[in-house]
Amino acid sequence: MTADEIRDHLDPIRDQFAEERSLVLPALKFAQTEKGHVTREDMEAVAEAVNLSPAYVESIASFYDRIYTSPTGERIVSVCVSLSCMLNGSDELLEHLCASEGVPHEGNHAGGTSADGRITVQEAQCLGACDRAPCLQVDAEETMGPVSLDDADGQLQRLRSETAPRPMLR
Amino acid sequence: MPELNSVYRHREAGHVLTDVSSYRDAGGYAALAHAINERTPDEVLYAITRSGLRGRGGAGFPTGRKASFLPKDAQLAKYLVCNADESEPGTFKDREIMELNPHQLIEGMVIAAYAIGAERGYIYIRGEYEYQAQVLDAAITAAREAGYLGADVAGSGYALDLTLYRGAGAYICGEETGLLESLEGKRGQPRLKPPFPAVKGLWASPTLLNNVETLAAIPPIIEQGPDWYAAMGTEKSPGTKIFSVSGHVTKPGNYEVILGETTLRELIFDLAGGFREGRSFKACWVGGSSVPVLAEQHLDTPLDYESLMEAGTFLGSGGCIVMDDSGCIVRASLRLASFYRHESCGKCTPCREGTGWMENVLQRIADGDGRMEDLELMESLFGRIGGNCLCALADGAVAPISSAIKLFRDDFARAITNGGTERPEPMAPAVALTGGRAGA
Repeated sequence: MTADEIRDHLDPIRDQFAEERSLVLPALKFAQTEKGHVTREDMEAVAEAVNLSPAYVESIASFYDRIYTSPTGERIVSVCVSLSCMLNGSDELLEHLCASEGVPHEGNHAGGTSADGRITVQEAQCLGACDRAPCLQVDAEETMGPVSLDDADGQLQRLRSETAPRPMLR
Repeated sequence: MPELNSVYRHREAGHVLTDVSSYRDAGGYAALAHAINERTPDEVLYAITRSGLRGRGGAGFPTGRKASFLPKDAQLAKYLVCNADESEPGTFKDREIMELNPHQLIEGMVIAAYAIGAERGYIYIRGEYEYQAQVLDAAITAAREAGYLGADVAGSGYALDLTLYRGAGAYICGEETGLLESLEGKRGQPRLKPPFPAVKGLWASPTLLNNVETLAAIPPIIEQGPDWYAAMGTEKSPGTKIFSVSGHVTKPGNYEVILGETTLRELIFDLAGGFREGRSFKACWVGGSSVPVLAEQHLDTPLDYESLMEAGTFLGSGGCIVMDDSGCIVRASLRLASFYRHESCGKCTPCREGTGWMENVLQRIADGDGRMEDLELMESLFGRIGGNCLCALADGAVAPISSAIKLFRDDFARAITNGGTERPEPMAPAVALTGGRAGA
């Protein structure tokens, strides 16, 4: 994404902040909607658009779980592994999803992107849907539960049959 | 059972209140018009103080007193910031407000902003609540079009607008100064306090920070009067509080109750449906994951700030995680320890290193590599982690673990002597998948 495109996106909200620096996170989130992650060039464009150094922008990007600095699958499936979901089977759900997608699941650390590049499975901390444990989230706006192993298979099938929505919300 | 839907007006109405007209039909925005056109800011602040409302994010600090700490004669701009970074494990009460009753939050924010003379309000919402952010965004636009926000709020001449700011996945940004750092475009690492945000907050200006539920509690207080609110509950814990109940219960969900009038047992067994056939209570983290765990002997504790403190825990966010006797306290504690290790921002060494140590030692106990002296090792760690850091994350990380080792020491000792613990069979929820785009 170019610095001009980012500037155009930020212009309507610029006057809502006393300091321009506040725009760095909205800029990163916007830049990410194009490819689903931010590249070095994207971070340089963000830096130019908000008048900060690329190194500073990277320090912000690396702080947040939901800013991805390396490529992900077309869709991201986040499985909540917090306590309420664990009690309702999130470990089993995560293992099942990892096995289905052929991505690693070792000890406490699981996840990765499927060989066809369609789906990234990852662990998430509490997604705020404990009333529907075990829950999962697709990208950033679809949260669902309780997800049985059959439901999980159905969701993977659905995601493979869909084209990823644009802009990509992570 | 004293359930009372005051913050959850949509439940009282029986349908969602996402548009201005349905919210208005349910009595909404009357408090705003009354407060701004017929009351001075000081009178509004006095009403909030008199109601006895306490912060619902977790700390329980009196809301009116917190607002009164903002300097009256400040030359600087003042800000109101709503903490919608609901990330405490087991807590999903604010999600329901933003999703189904967003105008009550907006109305509460306008009233609070007027009381302190704020010129802009910010809502910092966690990145994982993208759907809720879209609902809220639409509600803010609609409120502006209806004249409840903008250059002339409700025809009063008072100018206020709200900005929705999306986070990107960091528990620490729910800590008030971590939130401010994030909102200023910095890494969300907490600040040294004092100065408190009331004096030096957003861009070093006086700032009032409140949780979603706290702000959404304000319109009914103005509508029905502070004495109505103060008369509910106990003297020190007035009003209603939403408890999010989850874990091994058969009817997980949000329950708004009058403080002090419901016991933990009633919340778990009567409202949240109790357990599956043949299962009984084992443990519960009543105020989110950052509070000391409770055991069977605590079930008759009334749900209010003081009674829960007397029982050795905190009311916290009201995120009540419940585990039945099929669960394993060692593995549950390990899961919480992993959460804090992941979410420690790394600024303070005792937290950054200590949360990792707690996880490592609990992991080896669960895996069967534990030693009896590990329990003493853990106990020696607690005091070196908690109380030594800039924010409460470290204390919150220690509380559930230290209390578990104290209350359920035998379970830990058994895991060590028996060569670890088996992963228990999870509960299989008996309800169908819901969700998709909507979180409701």
